[in-house]
This record gives sequence, C-alpha cells and structure tokens, in this order.
Amino acid sequence: MSGQKEREKRRDQRLAEEAEVSTSDRRTRLLQMAAGAVFLVVVVIVVVIVVNSSSSDSGGDAENVSEVATVDKLLDGIPQEGLVLGKASAPVELIEFGDLQCPVCKEYSEEILPDVIESQVKSGEAKIDFRNFTIISSESIPAGAAAIAAGRQGRGWNYIELFYRNQGEERSGYVTDAFMTSIAKGAGVKDIAKWNKERKQKKTTEEVEATFEEAKKFGFDGTPSFAIQGPGTNGVELPGTLQSPGEFEEAIEEAS
Amino acid sequence: MKMPSEWTLRRIIAFVAVLGIGVATYITIADSGGGAPTCLAGGSGCETVANSSYSHIAGVNIAVFGIVGYVLLLASSFFANDAARFGGFAVALGGFGFSVYLTYLEIFKIEAICQWCVASAVLMTIQFLLNATRLIGYAGTDEVASAERA
Repeated sequence: MSGQKEREKRRDQRLAEEAEVSTSDRRTRLLQMAAGAVFLVVVVIVVVIVVNSSSSDSGGDAENVSEVATVDKLLDGIPQEGLVLGKASAPVELIEFGDLQCPVCKEYSEEILPDVIESQVKSGEAKIDFRNFTIISSESIPAGAAAIAAGRQGRGWNYIELFYRNQGEERSGYVTDAFMTSIAKGAGVKDIAKWNKERKQKKTTEEVEATFEEAKKFGFDGTPSFAIQGPGTNGVELPGTLQSPGEFEEAIEEAS
Repeated sequence: MKMPSEWTLRRIIAFVAVLGIGVATYITIADSGGGAPTCLAGGSGCETVANSSYSHIAGVNIAVFGIVGYVLLLASSFFANDAARFGGFAVALGGFGFSVYLTYLEIFKIEAICQWCVASAVLMTIQFLLNATRLIGYAGTDEVASAERA
C-alpha cells in the first residue's frame, strides 16, 4: 500500500514538474515571439521613414509632369476664355474659388468636376469660372498668377487641371519657376516667354489678390468654394456644400 | 518595484483604451462633420493635419483605425490568457509603431502638430508599455497564478 502511495506521489511530482517546464517553455516562446515582433516593427518603421525621406515625391516634380493626355482629353473641344471653361453663351456660370495647392480642390478636379464638364459644360448648359482663392501659402499666389497668364493664351484650364494632377506636398516649396514652367509646357502654352513675362506682372498678381478678397466677401473660408448664377438665380448665389456630380448637376439645373 | 497584479493591469488597459476610443472618435467626427472637407484659411495645426494627404488611407480617416485598435485592446483586457496578452501586446505594438510614423509625418512632412493626434499617440504609447508589462509579467501563467503573483 505504501509502495503504491509512493508511486502515486512520485507520479504527481513528475506531472507537476512537467507542467512547470511546459509553462516555462510556453512563456519563453511567447516572449521570443514578442521580441521578434518588436524587432520587426522597428525595422519596418526605420525603413518606411528612410524611404519616405529619400524618395522624391510623386508630385511637384518639374522633371516629371504626368497626366497631360488625361487633361487634354478632358478639355478637348471645350472653348476657354481666360479661366472660364465652356461656351461664353452658356446661361449658367458656376464659379469655383480654389487654390492650386489645395489637395481637396485636386480631389474635386479629379473625381467630381469631370462628370460636370462632360455633361453640362460640353453641352453648353454651364460654364465654370475658376477664381484664385489663395489660402494655403504664399506660393499659391505665383501659381495662381501663372494660371491667369496661361488663360490669356487659351490654356488656363489645361494649366489648372494639370497643376492639380501634379501637386506636390503642401508648403514643401515645390512651386518653383521650373515646376510652373513644366506645367505650362504640358498645358500647351505656346509662347512661354510671354507667359513668363505676364505671370510676373503686377496686374496679374493684383488679379489674384482681387479674387481672394472677393471670396472673403462671400464669406468663404475654405477651398474649394462655389458660387453660381444663371436665369434661375437672384444674382450670384451660394449653392452650399456640393459633394457629388449629382449635386452639381442639380444646382446647375436649378440655376438654369 | 513590485509587479502590479494582472487584474490591475487589465483595468488600467481598459481605462486607457476607453480614453483612446474617445479621442479617436472625436478626431473622426471633427474631420467628417460640417459637410465636405475644406482647406481652411489660416487653419491651426489640427485642420492642417486633417486636410493633409496623410490623414486618410484608401479614403478612410486614420482615426478610424485608431478606434479599431483601441476596441481590440479593450477586448483583450477582458481575458486573462496568453492569447489576450499576446494579442493585446501585438495590437499595442502595431499602434505604437504607427503612432511613431504619424508623429514623424506631422513634424517633418506636414509641419503642423495636431494636439488630438498627439494625445492619441501618448495613449497608444501607454498601452504599449502596459501590454508589454502584462506580457512579460504574466505570459505562460493562468489567471489564478497571475493573481497570486500580485
């Protein structure tokens, strides 16, 4: 009997020791996995930061202006006068107050306004008048002046659309003469020397400043902001926040 | 220094997670409220960061990922087993790493600081430290044993 109890006692001891070893192994494994995870995360963060710091931005690159063909296709056949896109006889005028450095304006340009341009601007129902509202930084002023100068050669909207699609990082200093010249060339501005001269003229800068003041008078504090006028409006009206092509089309129809 | 009981650690983790959910939810609502987002004239740090191209991933506000992370951390605090300890640690580690990256972007790329983002980064750092302490102190133990160690 005592022999059996001894055996049972030894067996219990052995099982307890095995359980302890198993727990210790499990703990060691978990901590090793945790250490491995920490190492991996540190490596990933370092790599991401180093790559981010050293690589050139996908936009704002004077040597690499993209989407020229996309912009040309979008605006092909649509008349332009200054920074107004669409037929002069179009009854409804949609006024866009924008900043060429503004990433939200870029989103509107790429995702919302193309539908409006394809449907109501091409058909002659409406025209879109871009006016500079330079709120992002002081670099927006020469950018806006360059758009006005491109508009004097009938390529204003090509300039605006191409600029949006090649935006660099906000306030990063990417709006250089070289960058703007690349955009102008991509936009098809024929006389670059004339464009260069006119964009630097005081009257051009004053035009940018004037539309800034106009936007403030409307009570706008962000970009893009929209106003609209047409046969169905009482002068220039503010259509409120328009977030989709459908809402733009509805606003234009109501103003018709 | 005496290791706090796992029960204590779990309660603090839950509390900090709730704070984190609150901050991340506020950031999400503040960013999406008021109609279409705009770039604000003369905006302060939070508007600048919110309107930067880094504030969204695949169209989703980054703060939403923060909400998910904090909810997972809250859930992990309800259980005292290795899966919860390691899971909580992994989420906190990932959240901490992402917070480091976002803080780098704020300082060096966006060049603006959003106080709410900083608050979330601090909370996630605290979560990382708490969950690391929990894992190191109680990995491989069961709930009874972990209570006894306190």
